[in-house]
Amino acid sequence: MGARDTSSWEQVPAAPAEHFVSGLVYSDPDIYRDESDKIFSKVWRLACHESELPEAFDYRVFDHDGQSLFSIRGEDNVVRTFLNVCSHRGAKLLDQPAGNAKSITCFYHRWTYDSQGGCTGIPRASGYASGSVKKEVMGLREVRTEILHGLAFVCMDDAAPPLGSHIGSALDRFSEMLTGQPLEVFHYNQAILDCNWKAWHETNMDLYHEFMHVVLRQTQVNAMPMEDRKRIVFDGGHGGSGGDLKAAYDGYEGFAGRGDDVPPLPGMSATDFRFVNLFPSTAIISRGTVVRIDTVTPIGPDKALLEMRGLGLKGESDEHRRIRQKHHNQYWGPFGRNVPEDMVAAESCADSFRNQAGRYQIIARDEKMSGQDDAILRAFYAEWGRRVDRDPGAPV
Amino acid sequence: MSDHEAIRTLIGKSCLALDDSDFAAYLGLCALDFSYCIRVWSPELRKDMIWLEHDRDGMAGLFETLPEHLQRSGRLSRHVSISTIETGASAQEFVVVSSVVVHHTDLGGRTQTLAVGRYNDTVIREGGAVLLATREVTLETRDLGIGLHVPL
Ligand code: FES
Ligand SMILES: [Fe+2]
Repeated sequence: MGARDTSSWEQVPAAPAEHFVSGLVYSDPDIYRDESDKIFSKVWRLACHESELPEAFDYRVFDHDGQSLFSIRGEDNVVRTFLNVCSHRGAKLLDQPAGNAKSITCFYHRWTYDSQGGCTGIPRASGYASGSVKKEVMGLREVRTEILHGLAFVCMDDAAPPLGSHIGSALDRFSEMLTGQPLEVFHYNQAILDCNWKAWHETNMDLYHEFMHVVLRQTQVNAMPMEDRKRIVFDGGHGGSGGDLKAAYDGYEGFAGRGDDVPPLPGMSATDFRFVNLFPSTAIISRGTVVRIDTVTPIGPDKALLEMRGLGLKGESDEHRRIRQKHHNQYWGPFGRNVPEDMVAAESCADSFRNQAGRYQIIARDEKMSGQDDAILRAFYAEWGRRVDRDPGAPV
Repeated sequence: MSDHEAIRTLIGKSCLALDDSDFAAYLGLCALDFSYCIRVWSPELRKDMIWLEHDRDGMAGLFETLPEHLQRSGRLSRHVSISTIETGASAQEFVVVSSVVVHHTDLGGRTQTLAVGRYNDTVIREGGAVLLATREVTLETRDLGIGLHVPL
């Protein structure tokens, strides 16, 4: 077969519906609005790791679907989340990305709030003569918050089912790693990517692209028989590695002996590679001694905010921490061997779909849940379709 | 050449060598026990982070593997302005602080600022030459877009 003409290029692929996705899902503004209304306003998403709020009154500010939120640990040790918006005239309450605030004072007219969201002070409250404006009813808008395995999740929908029913058993294989010993975030970076949020999340769901990474070509592709790899998908659009994949680090210059010098994370060996993708946009990826957690937040149809965290053992020696940072930076972070390559890929595909030069992406690999099966991508798009009530292959 | 002139030339050459991907020339400017690191303060974690750290061998290994990696296309330009040169722990050692701005020019010839930060260098005099003993890059810029494989 040679090149294709226009109709062949643009026609719906002659394949099962779940084997392809229309490029419109990355670019159409109506679909983007639906995602905001039906996914990001309804589904639990990662806010931060507990270790980012170690002390009472520690807070972390973050963006979610165009809104600023903050999570704060109360005096009662409970982590709560609020819209970062003053009840009075809407000023943004907290400006710094993190800090400690026993009392939150709005800069504008000096209304104050406590860590449980209560309004504690209104200057010259007597001026509100009618009585309808009083601190008792002027608290902050609380956003549901639940912590699972040290991960703080938030949900904008007061009526959504609890976090446990959203995650199901998708994090079971990570529970020992995430809770066996206290973990701590030592790496955090953000990048605004010129792509749809899903294009990033796909890089974490697609194992076939390990051929793109020279590190993985040399350390992972041949480290174990393809048929021994296991993939697993869960209700709710989550999916990950069923059994651990292996890495043979001596295949890449400078990686040999990785992991001999620092204990692996609980339940892992230094050469294990384990990952899970949580719907809609969180990925947890562990390479033996370190774990990376990605969260991608939509900014527009073709812009996304990526947050990346790296975690190691809390309280470990400086020497061990330094080694773990090195392990993290070998693959990940802005100077990692792999992450910049993934970003090139996500932006490159986005470029093609932005103006409909690309029409469909193929997610048809069926290797009986082993090798480089596309099952995780299919599970994600099945849930996506169910949520936005559109067929991913023919969404408009 | 005065020490200060020699140091200015050394820092300038270290930028040009990386801009030109002339890694042998870069390593030629570095002492045998050279160490390199990129440090970034995270206001989110309220902690210092290390984003890249290598000794001389590590740098050499990294340079060797670069051609096989899928990299950001285009060119980087490192613009340095030396702020201070002070004598270090011995008369043979200098502590040099420079402001650095890195621009990226894409294949279409469009240039954007990629990063701003500082070089905190230790320079030693060895024989008749001055060499980079340590380079610590402290970055203000924390969003590096798609990131990069080469040191700054
Ligand atoms: S807007 Fe916050 S006190 Fe007025
Ligand atoms: Fe990748």
